[in-house]
Amino acid sequence: MELRQERRAIERSLISVVDDDESVRESLPDLLGEFGFAARAFSSAEEFLASDCVGQTRCLILDVVMPGMSGPELQRELKLLRRELPIVFITAQREEAVHPQVLEQGGIECLFKPFSDTALLEAINSAFRPK
Amino acid sequence: MEVEPELASVEVKHLQRCINDLISLLALPAIWSGGDPSQVLHTLLDALMRMLHLDLVSVRLTDPVGMAPVEIVRLAELRGPMPSAHEICEAFSQSLKNDSRKWPPLLQNLMGEGEVSIVSLPLGLQGELGVIVAAAERTDFPRQTEALLLSVAANQASIGLQEARLLSHQKRVASELDQRVVQRTAELATANEDLKKELAERRLVEERLGQEETELKRSEVRKAAIVDSALDCIVTIDHEGCITEFNPAAERTFGYRRDEVLGKHLADVVIPPSLREKHRQGFARYLGTGEARVLGKRIEMTAVRADGSEFPVELAITRIPLEGPPSFTGYLRDITERNRARQELRRSQAFLAEAQHLSRIGSFSWRVPTDEIAWSEQLYRIFQIDRDAQVTFELIGTRIHPEDLSLFQEHIERSRRERSDVQLEFRLQMPDGAVKYVHVAAHIRGDHGQLEYIGAVQDVTERRASEAALSKARSELSQVARVTSLGVLTASIAHEVNQPLSGIVTNASTCLRMLAANPPNVEGARETAQRTIRDGNRASEVITRLRALFSKKSVTIQSIDLNEATREVIALSLSELQRSRVILRQELAHDLPLVTGDRVQLQQVILNLLRNASDAMSTIDDRPRDLLIRTDTDDNDRVRLSVRDVGIGFERQAADRLFEAFYTTKNEGMGIGLSVSRSIIERHYGRLWATPNEGPGVTFSFSIPCRPEGLTSDGTRSSRVPSVSDAA
Repeated sequence: MELRQERRAIERSLISVVDDDESVRESLPDLLGEFGFAARAFSSAEEFLASDCVGQTRCLILDVVMPGMSGPELQRELKLLRRELPIVFITAQREEAVHPQVLEQGGIECLFKPFSDTALLEAINSAFRPK
Repeated sequence: MEVEPELASVEVKHLQRCINDLISLLALPAIWSGGDPSQVLHTLLDALMRMLHLDLVSVRLTDPVGMAPVEIVRLAELRGPMPSAHEICEAFSQSLKNDSRKWPPLLQNLMGEGEVSIVSLPLGLQGELGVIVAAAERTDFPRQTEALLLSVAANQASIGLQEARLLSHQKRVASELDQRVVQRTAELATANEDLKKELAERRLVEERLGQEETELKRSEVRKAAIVDSALDCIVTIDHEGCITEFNPAAERTFGYRRDEVLGKHLADVVIPPSLREKHRQGFARYLGTGEARVLGKRIEMTAVRADGSEFPVELAITRIPLEGPPSFTGYLRDITERNRARQELRRSQAFLAEAQHLSRIGSFSWRVPTDEIAWSEQLYRIFQIDRDAQVTFELIGTRIHPEDLSLFQEHIERSRRERSDVQLEFRLQMPDGAVKYVHVAAHIRGDHGQLEYIGAVQDVTERRASEAALSKARSELSQVARVTSLGVLTASIAHEVNQPLSGIVTNASTCLRMLAANPPNVEGARETAQRTIRDGNRASEVITRLRALFSKKSVTIQSIDLNEATREVIALSLSELQRSRVILRQELAHDLPLVTGDRVQLQQVILNLLRNASDAMSTIDDRPRDLLIRTDTDDNDRVRLSVRDVGIGFERQAADRLFEAFYTTKNEGMGIGLSVSRSIIERHYGRLWATPNEGPGVTFSFSIPCRPEGLTSDGTRSSRVPSVSDAA
């Protein structure tokens, strides 16, 4: 019962997706919508920072490798802005070194593309779980 | 859009099943990860059998190195005796041989009466891994969704197989490389030792030659000193053999004063007691018969001084042409020094012969006007010609390799005409068929009537053999480098393929959720399913692009648009460059002329330059990591490509070493890329060079002629023989 209330509270929370790959920007918001979240997609870290969504975003799904500012750089930038969002990293690069590095910096999870819907949902749920 | 509820539900079910299958297929790599190729294939065939209700599915894996071809078959049910996997695969490859891409063809059902539709799917970029054959008796096989599933399955299997194979291949290459480096290092060390030895021996020969010359000079000086100070003793005697004259030189030589010996018998004064009797007899014989054994000749004999010491002298006796009783003049010369010099000369000649033998260098002289040829002993040995044979050009010709004979003769004729120094290398063929390489160096001496070539011939067969071994090692290493750079590329290939796969999985998941909703969101599901198919096609385009880049294995000469080739390489490297935070700028010239060459090889060079530039900037954090790639035409009808970075650069004096194999400023990497790149460019009759920038960093450039000399448009080497039109 308590769980369900908590669930309802986080529903319609805004999740922002930042990825330079168009197929991700097209597909992820729909899936997040199916999960019951509101979602916005941005093609670069700069575009996200310039938008009015930074304040409302409750969770960030962030690509690691992007032209211009990279995922980990955006993570540092947000820390400097004192906007510490839960971040779920996604990457198509199976580079072992990146994985622990971004998690050390406070990332919730790092998912390797392609990832399953359940893996994504689990990561988002742990992002919303109170610490 | 209105959808009939019943139709909708059928379509929903169909799509649902398709999506489920797609997800199962995408999950396969997790199941077979780390397995061997046959595990991969068993899993895949079972999955396809189940999903597509096939009557038969088989796979044939063309031989992975060192293994027998793998053939696996799954049949829906047994109808009569089951044919063996091999028979089925043979039958399929027979029927599909003509045009395996045109599917589905119909053919007699192997197992029964009816006909089956068959789909064949190549595994690997070019089907080089093998082929999957799926068959069903249904006439609608394959439907669009089934075709998609099959194509995704084949791609999944290809990547799985490639990874399994690459993994084992990389391990093997790594261990082979280790071994080879150890072996080559040892060989190089040995070759180096040999060269050092050879140098030392050569120096020895030169020293000996120098010593001999000095020795000769010294002995000449000695003789000159004897002559200059009138060292010839001049003694005259009368017909009785009594001394009538005794010059100061004789005084000095024999230790007598003139007045002490005048009137005494010569024999008593200067001839050792043991020889006196003989002398007297000879003198008496002459006086009696007129027969002289010593007159007018130079003879060597032993003389004795006043103090009784004996020494060698050269003696010439002439009769004084005066009337009356005969009188004689004797010229005596102390030859102690000369004898010693002669001995030393003999010794140093022996040394020289020994040194020539050791260093396999023989020497010769050739008097041009008379064609007299003199050889050292070692040269006879090199040519395996009998020591007593008279050396002529005809005889030499019998030992020269038939293919080099005309070259040799041409050089001889030119040496006759031009009278210049000679440097020449050619082959000998021994009577037993063995081939030797010799190097000839000769200097010309003398003038007109006395022209003479003096030279040395060195047997360089062993050096040639070690050079050949080195060049073989080098080409093997370049092969290793090729494989290694492919291995590095696998990472970016995975990245390129994983992007669209991610879209597929996400869309498929969304689609399932939309279909599972109550009521199902068919319109949304349709849209996501369409995106799934589009991303599937995108993944297959990536594979196609990679295929175009890597499929060609042998060198193919064709006309190439360097800009287009460059763009393809950039498209492939872009993600890697972005990951390294490199800002790439392109300045590709318009109207760039086509060049002739091997496209893939040139692309490997470009890729190598881009990667080097990126690596050189990996530690640069105080400025943007700008990389400029540009193409243009230079004044000499050559096309030039340059890659400019702002990286750590290199010390100017290292510019030449950059291109040596194994020279590297990177901690990782083998440093072999530039050396291979340079040899590729040189094969295209071009050059590759590096220049430090005005500011930070380096610019690497290569230029190749639009139409290289020696290559015709169809890639064959043009003949040097003038054609009829040239003569006209």
